[in-house]
Amino acid sequence: MSVTATARPLEQLQFRLFRPVPVVAPQIVETPEPSPLRDDVRQLRETLQATVAAKVTSATELLRALDRTRREETIPTTLDAFDALLGGGLPRGKMVELTGRRAAGRFSTVLAALAAATSMGEAAVLVDLGDHLDPQLAEENGVDLRRLLWIRPKTLKQAVMSTEMIAATGFQLVVLDVGLHPIRSRRVPDASWVRLARTAEANGTALLVSTPYPLTGTASEAVVTAERSRTQWLGRGKAPRLLASITTDLMLMKHRHRKPGAQGSVTFAAQDAPASVATKNDGTNRTDRTETRVAYLPALPAAAAGGAR
Amino acid sequence: MTRLACFLVPLFPLAARLRSEPELLQEAVVIVEGNGPAAHVVAATRRARTKGIQTGHSLAQARSILPKLIARGRDSECERTAQEALLEVAETFSPRVEDAGEGIIFVDISGMERHFASEEELGKAAMRAGDDIGLPVRVGIAASKLAARVAAELPKSPVIVAPGKEAEFLAPLPLGRLTPELDAATTLQRWGINSIGELARLPESEIASRLGEVGRDIHSAARGVDPRPLIPRALPPEFREGMELEWPLVALEPFLFIASAALDRLAKRLEIQGFACKRLEMTMNLEPDGFHSRAIDLPAPTRDVKTMLTLLRLDLEKTPPGAPVTAFSLVAHPDRPRRAQLSLFGPAALSPEKLATTIARLVSMLGEDRVGMAMTVDGHMPDRYALADFAPPPPPDLKRKPRKSRGLLAARIFRPPVKVDVITRPSRSDEPGDIQIQAIEGEGDLSGPVRVSSGPWQVEEGWWKEGRDQRDYWDVELMRGGSYRVYRGEERAWFIDARYE
Repeated sequence: MSVTATARPLEQLQFRLFRPVPVVAPQIVETPEPSPLRDDVRQLRETLQATVAAKVTSATELLRALDRTRREETIPTTLDAFDALLGGGLPRGKMVELTGRRAAGRFSTVLAALAAATSMGEAAVLVDLGDHLDPQLAEENGVDLRRLLWIRPKTLKQAVMSTEMIAATGFQLVVLDVGLHPIRSRRVPDASWVRLARTAEANGTALLVSTPYPLTGTASEAVVTAERSRTQWLGRGKAPRLLASITTDLMLMKHRHRKPGAQGSVTFAAQDAPASVATKNDGTNRTDRTETRVAYLPALPAAAAGGAR
Repeated sequence: MTRLACFLVPLFPLAARLRSEPELLQEAVVIVEGNGPAAHVVAATRRARTKGIQTGHSLAQARSILPKLIARGRDSECERTAQEALLEVAETFSPRVEDAGEGIIFVDISGMERHFASEEELGKAAMRAGDDIGLPVRVGIAASKLAARVAAELPKSPVIVAPGKEAEFLAPLPLGRLTPELDAATTLQRWGINSIGELARLPESEIASRLGEVGRDIHSAARGVDPRPLIPRALPPEFREGMELEWPLVALEPFLFIASAALDRLAKRLEIQGFACKRLEMTMNLEPDGFHSRAIDLPAPTRDVKTMLTLLRLDLEKTPPGAPVTAFSLVAHPDRPRRAQLSLFGPAALSPEKLATTIARLVSMLGEDRVGMAMTVDGHMPDRYALADFAPPPPPDLKRKPRKSRGLLAARIFRPPVKVDVITRPSRSDEPGDIQIQAIEGEGDLSGPVRVSSGPWQVEEGWWKEGRDQRDYWDVELMRGGSYRVYRGEERAWFIDARYE
């Protein structure tokens, strides 16, 4: 009896505890947005017929639309698998991180991005911390060297400072390659990457950071890893071998607007490899050596999906 | 009708000095001329004048009135650069400018009515422009140089003398205004003539018969007649700023502090003329005797003071002058800043001036050989390259689609190549001379057994000369992952010079 007697007040108490607290919805006062149109433009439109007025565009509107379009655009690397992971290419005004150790195809991806941007007539920058660029090979890869500014800093701090300076100048593609593991000099503060991302956003610069291990933290828009790679050689038995290609598996580890976990692979053919190499290895011809296989993993670990690396 | 403006800086030696040392603006400062007991005051700030110090006082007299008085000697370098700066300001108003020396400039402003609402507005604009370069400018506008100068000397600036009213304007003024150093003024005052108007009313022939040709000129001037034409000056090929130091400087930082102010003034003058600096020359007078000169070629024309100062600092750190510095002058060789037509529909073009400034800053931070445009070089060795100034061609008028990538495998070059030890094996038992790499012993990732080895390929360059370069190349893939380019040099030493990735 005593048990039931005590149970009831408790139950009542619990109900009282869990009773939903009335939430007062905040009153949203709609303030009219200031119209971007000048008064004389608005008056001109009002005097015109609706059909004609719809076709009239002021210079301010045109400039804004062009600026908006430019910022929403991407700079494709023309590596189909890489572009597919990022939704069309390197987004303007955003920072993308490409990580991968050893022969993961990072530098080939960097050169492909530079080649694509310079072929569009854009000026691009390579901030090359390890001094790794081979101009001959870059030109072979299609990079227009006249439109490429090559910066060779000695420390990571100098590299980040140079990248920030250059991004603020208005270059459309800036690639920061921090070189090999271990990275020269110690790490820079995390705030530097945030500032770099903001500078890129303010100037509409597509920023690609190529690094052997994750560096940019939460500041980057997307993180793509290129971990596994397979080297293919021509020649069997006692015949001499010839380096044919390297195939890299890419994985989207983090993206602010896309589902992470997408995968793809890219094959980079050696310069001296015969034309039949690519056909033999991945079914594509020599002019199109990249292969795209995008697939989503059925169950992705939460840590990987969140891009917490 | 010709209209002339006179830009006049009162107490010019003092104004020129205060332009170089603006921190003295609120202090009691005098400019003295002469040495020792002969040193006398030629100009004094308002604060010193209110204490009773006047022009002509000896320095000892001035110090007895105000012991804390700051005295500076006349600095010809400061005065020359201030005069140049004043000329450049005048040239922003009209291309016809005459340098009358000592802080006086005559400007032909005929036809300027379309640019300014009135002559008074023009005068006010000139005074504002003078303030921007740190010089208090007074303006007088009239039809003749004489009337314009007298108008500019009056305290309430700007003073406009209406066309044809020159004689009327000059009449009530004292004779001293006509020419301060007029010897005949004393004679005229003895005759009882005190104002310009009284002189103008006398018959010209009588004055000429008593005072000669000078009398005729004075009489014409008193009537507002000034036949002297304006003699325009040619544009200078360079811009100069400098200073004589109060005491010799031996440390870099204090010198850069003063040089920074001079560069700032130089940048403002370049901006007024629409120029940028392409080459900076510095001359330092050393103690006890001699001078040290140097020139810095900027990577691109710029007006960025920070960039120029950094380059100056690096240059001075690299080669110090070797003796205390007593004076310096900076000469900027002007060049037109890079200009480009931006396109609405093509790729976003870079602002040439912004690019030039950024490159100059990068060069100052990283070094000259670390920034530029990569160039290919004819030859056979794989790591060859050259660097040139970055001057991208203009972007296309319309957007282009990207060219499809060739998807070539890139080689990450190691500069300098990494020395390694290599274990080799015969390539085939039937060909003992041919070898393959079995294992590599290097640091970090560059170590381990080899999975596949391919080579050798012989590369030779400069066989016709003594120091030829010959290498045998192998491509190897390590068991632990990673493909590398390995070579054996002339001295049979092994190196890794690239990684395929």
